[in-house]
Amino acid sequence: MRQCVIPWIFERMNLMAIVAGIDIGNATTETALARVDGRNVTFIATGISDTTGIKGTLQNIAGLRASLGMALERAGFKRDEYGAVDVIRLNKAAPVIGDVAMETVTETIVTESTMIGHNPSTPGGVGVGLGTTISFEGIDAVRTDETVIPVIGAKHDYDFVAAKIREAIARGVKVAAAICQSDDGVLIVNRLPCVIPIVDEVSAIERVPLGMRCCVEVAPPGRVVELLANPYDIATLFDLSPEETKQIVPVARALVGNRSAVVIRTPLGEVKERRIPAGELYIIGPQGKRTVNVEDGADAIQNTILACCPVENIFGQPGTNVGGMMERVRRTMSDLTEIPIADVYIKDLLAVDTLVPQKVVGGVAGEFSLESGVALAVMVKTEELPMQKLAAAVARDLGVKVEVGGVEADMAIRGALTTPGTKPPIAILDLGAGSSDASFMRTDGTVTLTHLAGAGNMVNTIIASELGFESMELAEAIKRNPLCRVESAFHIRQEDGTVRFFGEPIDPSAYGRVSLLHDNDFMQPLMLGNINVERVRSARRKAKQEVFVKNAIRALEQVAPNNNIRLVDYVVLVGGSAKDFEIANMITDALARYGIVAGRGNIRSTEGPRNAVATGLVLSSVADGQ
Amino acid sequence: MQINTELLEKIVAEVLAEIGGGSSGASVATAAPEEVAGVKLTETGKAARGTDPKEVVLAISPAFATTFKKTITGIPLADVLRQVFAGVEEEGLHVRVIRVYHTADVAFMSHLGARLSGSGIGIGILSRGTSIIHQRDLNPLSNLELFPQAPVIDLPAFRAIGKNAAKYAKGESPNPVPTKNDPMARPRYQGLAALLHNKEASFIDRSKAPQELSVTFE
Repeated sequence: MRQCVIPWIFERMNLMAIVAGIDIGNATTETALARVDGRNVTFIATGISDTTGIKGTLQNIAGLRASLGMALERAGFKRDEYGAVDVIRLNKAAPVIGDVAMETVTETIVTESTMIGHNPSTPGGVGVGLGTTISFEGIDAVRTDETVIPVIGAKHDYDFVAAKIREAIARGVKVAAAICQSDDGVLIVNRLPCVIPIVDEVSAIERVPLGMRCCVEVAPPGRVVELLANPYDIATLFDLSPEETKQIVPVARALVGNRSAVVIRTPLGEVKERRIPAGELYIIGPQGKRTVNVEDGADAIQNTILACCPVENIFGQPGTNVGGMMERVRRTMSDLTEIPIADVYIKDLLAVDTLVPQKVVGGVAGEFSLESGVALAVMVKTEELPMQKLAAAVARDLGVKVEVGGVEADMAIRGALTTPGTKPPIAILDLGAGSSDASFMRTDGTVTLTHLAGAGNMVNTIIASELGFESMELAEAIKRNPLCRVESAFHIRQEDGTVRFFGEPIDPSAYGRVSLLHDNDFMQPLMLGNINVERVRSARRKAKQEVFVKNAIRALEQVAPNNNIRLVDYVVLVGGSAKDFEIANMITDALARYGIVAGRGNIRSTEGPRNAVATGLVLSSVADGQ
Repeated sequence: MQINTELLEKIVAEVLAEIGGGSSGASVATAAPEEVAGVKLTETGKAARGTDPKEVVLAISPAFATTFKKTITGIPLADVLRQVFAGVEEEGLHVRVIRVYHTADVAFMSHLGARLSGSGIGIGILSRGTSIIHQRDLNPLSNLELFPQAPVIDLPAFRAIGKNAAKYAKGESPNPVPTKNDPMARPRYQGLAALLHNKEASFIDRSKAPQELSVTFE
């Protein structure tokens, strides 16, 4: 009896151990479950779940249980049969957290309502009208030799308004144009004997100054205003001096691209583009401190960072938005690691220029203007996350032996090398949600690595700000899915122009709308007003280019031999963002210019770009001699 | 309690009126249509399928603006028509009105309108105000936008319904008309709505085809 039992235990302990490699990332917790038989490793299942809490904290346990449970179930065990696992190997997570913020650096201010630059979808009539603004109630008292532009409040019905204007025209009054509060422009023009331009939907109509010289222009459908977008034409219309013409330039600029516009000449009114003091960044490098102003834009910031490479620390000007953001990141990291706040170093920063739709200050019709902004992602690195503490807690919680495995970058390379067609020397780009990491393994097995700020979360921030909404869930969905336009109940036009037909009617809530085409042919309509596919697509692609392609090159420059990208031959892309339907292609395309073979990894020939670190953890258990 | 008494009185009055004219209900519809102030509706023959992509077909119920003069909340039906017309016209399209006799179900009315519409977009409005924007390829009981609570639809909402229907016809993607929700609408109006439906249903003539209407506002 005894003779039988001992070999069985022996076999189970040494020959048939089940090892779970678990990688806790910024966004997902991934598990690789394998049967280790001596030096043979047989992978039996994988699991994936969202990371709970910030990585490296005890909150991660819930996500870890879910991820491991999923792998166990797929391997034929019960979901909570944690005892089946002999060893759990956790990654020594790179102690890196990122944060993203948006800073708007310009704003447009209109004083004394000198212009109405909003873009109603249906202005009335077409043409240019020049005259004096009058209140609509006073139209009966206008002398016949005057040229007027009535300003019409919403309380008047369009039939009544049209009748009054007809009456005035019959008396000989020249009604050159009209400005209207409700959406009645087309209705009024249809009831007049002649066509005049009417700008409607001017919400704050009471702020339009009366008795002033005014010009209204409405372009034909599909065209944009020409006269009021040209400073010299405005000068001609209002007899401006060269000095005054110079002042009118922001007005003309603000009206470019609109189908309708109103310019009113008031004694003191003007339109200004103001630069908001966003604050300065102090970047400390080996050669000392350099200062760059956030409002100088992304290129200036990035050049300064390059000049300070390797960056030792970054501070924001106290009392500014940037200063606040830098402190917030330091505090989060300090709370997490129990390191004093003064010892937390910001090691990298990525800035991207964006355009942010902002309400015009002082506008009378709720006008929006595209202001410039800068999106910033920062990355904090400390000595080590409290992984041992987490490992002990997991061991207590699940009753399984837990080991903390090697450095994340080593594990990622080990895992990535299971991709068919790869061998050292090789570079890995790990594109995650919080940071973009790169590592390079030489033929002799030595590894250099770097962590850079800016990844999936920053792309979300840029998409949301460029399209003018707040929800990060929506931004994530836009990032992950291609677009289409539902053209009828049975067909859609995809973003590349191809048409697809469906046998079953499409959900009517998506009818006529720009929608996201999810994997299972589910269509999610975007409720972003009258927005077109091209606009969303270009915002999405620009964000990915600016963050991932820029970071791929930046990262490879840091890990490549002699900092020369051309000396790298193979690049394997791993991580959640490498799974994206276009990021990998963008990077492959950009790196092809340097003669590099780059592509999405295919871990163990089955997992695609995911599970690299978890796989590496299991493989390293054999190499470590267990 | 006060509401209940008021409602009760209303219901009693309606029921009495119903009993009084109940048997002759169907014959009223075939008699010379009563006039409603502000709009003149003239039947011009059987409603045909349109080919004009600039039209939105508005389907109205059998006794709309004849026996019924107001919506459930007392909005004159002439004003309802005028606002729907204005909403469509502001977008550069026009409305063709048909009167449906064979049903008083707003889903089937509006779907019929959509099928007859050159643009494929139809609107259906019941006398009490319930409305739908429909598209011809959808199932009758599906819709583009549904406004099920008649008591909360006001004139600006009718303008917005016309505007959105026209935008769908142009292939644009309008934001759905913001619908209000009044939790008291159901207890307050459900009885009345049922009576109004019964009354409207009494004008149904299953053998009569939908008729084209010419509309003049006065």
